[in-house]
Amino acid sequence: MKKLMQALIAVVIIAAVLFYAVHRLNASTGQTAGNTLTVFNWGDYIDAELIDQFEKETGVQVIYETFDSNEAMLTKIEQGGTTYDVAVPSEYTIEKMREQELLYPIDHAKVPNLRYIDERFMDLPFDPGNEYSIPYFWGTVGILYNTDKVQSEITAWNDLWKPEFRNEILMIDGAREVIGMGLNSLGYSLNDTNEAHLQEAKAKLDGLTPNIKAIVGDEIRMLMENDEASIGLVWSGTASELMWKKDNLEYVVPEEGSNLWFDNMVIPKTAKNIDAAHAFINFMLDPETAAQNAEYVGYSTPNKEALTYMPKEMVEDERFYPPADLTERLEVYENLGPEMLSHYNELFLKFKMHRK
Amino acid sequence: MALFWPRAYLAFVFIVLYAPIFYLSFYSFNSGGTMSSFDGFTLDWYKELFSDSRLLVIVLNTLIIALLSAAISTIIGVLGALAIVYARKRLYQHILLSLNNVLIVSPDVIIGASFLILFTIIGINLGFTSVLLAHIAFSVPIVVIMVLPKLEEMSSSLIDAARDLGASRFDILTKVILPYITPGIFAGFFMALTYSLDDFAVTFFVTGNGFTTLSVEIYSLARRGISLQINALSTLLFLFTIVLVIGYYFIQKRNEKTAVGVRK
Repeated sequence: MKKLMQALIAVVIIAAVLFYAVHRLNASTGQTAGNTLTVFNWGDYIDAELIDQFEKETGVQVIYETFDSNEAMLTKIEQGGTTYDVAVPSEYTIEKMREQELLYPIDHAKVPNLRYIDERFMDLPFDPGNEYSIPYFWGTVGILYNTDKVQSEITAWNDLWKPEFRNEILMIDGAREVIGMGLNSLGYSLNDTNEAHLQEAKAKLDGLTPNIKAIVGDEIRMLMENDEASIGLVWSGTASELMWKKDNLEYVVPEEGSNLWFDNMVIPKTAKNIDAAHAFINFMLDPETAAQNAEYVGYSTPNKEALTYMPKEMVEDERFYPPADLTERLEVYENLGPEMLSHYNELFLKFKMHRK
Repeated sequence: MALFWPRAYLAFVFIVLYAPIFYLSFYSFNSGGTMSSFDGFTLDWYKELFSDSRLLVIVLNTLIIALLSAAISTIIGVLGALAIVYARKRLYQHILLSLNNVLIVSPDVIIGASFLILFTIIGINLGFTSVLLAHIAFSVPIVVIMVLPKLEEMSSSLIDAARDLGASRFDILTKVILPYITPGIFAGFFMALTYSLDDFAVTFFVTGNGFTTLSVEIYSLARRGISLQINALSTLLFLFTIVLVIGYYFIQKRNEKTAVGVRK
């Protein structure tokens, strides 16, 4: 009994010491109760220095929390019990949140820096008039390939059908991405709902199966990094990270057109400090801030003015800042409604089951 | 020579189990920034780790939650195990034990989601309290399972003898039963500690408002790739556990020597 009591007291003392340490650490970063702002973002998706800078400029203390998927973030916000003031979902989730009335409208008068955002990235179908969301980063879907193994240059979706790439292509396990690629390769819109076009795309994709090595999820990073396959269908964010690590990878946005995706800042209904949330969004849109953030994260910034503060080789990289004639052919996924979506899923499933 | 193959097999198993950890630790000294090629020795990741106060707070919070939830769930779990063993009816005993086991086998995701719903309904803000309560809840059944065999193995004549000698019910509990099952209690405590330290699924649902634990934080880094800072952190935590295990071993040894006489 004595021994057990001793152990219990020891545990309590250690916990108390740790508590004190946390308190001291929080005090040293100035994180105390009062004027706080809770930001809910993807892991490692902001330059931490900017948070310090924001705290110094405004006196608002930032509590920063991270999530790993749109679905996880949505669950937390739907349930309540949290006080997230700013969150950064992807475009299709914003549409969902808007429908479920989980967002506060953004007062554009409080976000004057909005004028720096490129018009190409404003007023998109998932949020007309940017009533609820402000672009944070954007990117494309494209082809990542290993220049050591792929001799010919890849510039288009149609190049993937070449017989030389037999069993070398990794696909993303996503119905919109894959069917969209099929539609794009035929010159149709990736939001096409014409049944004949969809069937044509599906038939064309069936012809690609001999070249496909696997249909995978996030593992695609690791597989491409370890040279397991020479071609992968990836998001530009994934591509820029991998290319930073490995010199022999090349990324291309196919010339037929492709998907344009966004991660946007929103103010969820859980917000308590709406003024600070606006201040934070405005701060992130400041050209110098946005430039520093884009350099740190490595994704493409929608901030036109920020580009002037960034290194030339980054801004002129057409793989991540495609020229205007190509961006015109990029499309955002539109919400096609549940029926069409399940039709897409069914076609994708049939494609997956198609025998080589 | 007869022992060569068994030993080789044992060595092989341990190498397979430990290799990933050493691989990870090795790259925490890599100046190259990735886990694919070793460019040179550096301690930068450790420096970066100690200057990242957000990550340090998360580590400390994780430890606090683990210690407190393990201590509290051990107390509750021991009482629970006593209730199961000393239940009058056999049927009642079985029902209690089965209810306990259901909680162990039910998927973490379900437990986590149900906690999230519960906490939001009764108005507990997600954060320290919610994580602590959830961890206590999923640790209790584990402690019960760890303590139960010790209690069952204890001969009932010990209690009869104590009663004969005039011990009160409280004396029996504190001077006979608890000292006897102490190893089981410690085993339960350490089990609860490790469960709490590495739990992801349940914790994920109940963290919020800036409070998070290490496993949830590391997982959220997955989209952008994990920095070698995390390798450095894992290496330190691994060393910390090794120190704990060695410390526990010496405490055990000392107790074996002193605990020959009457247990107090």
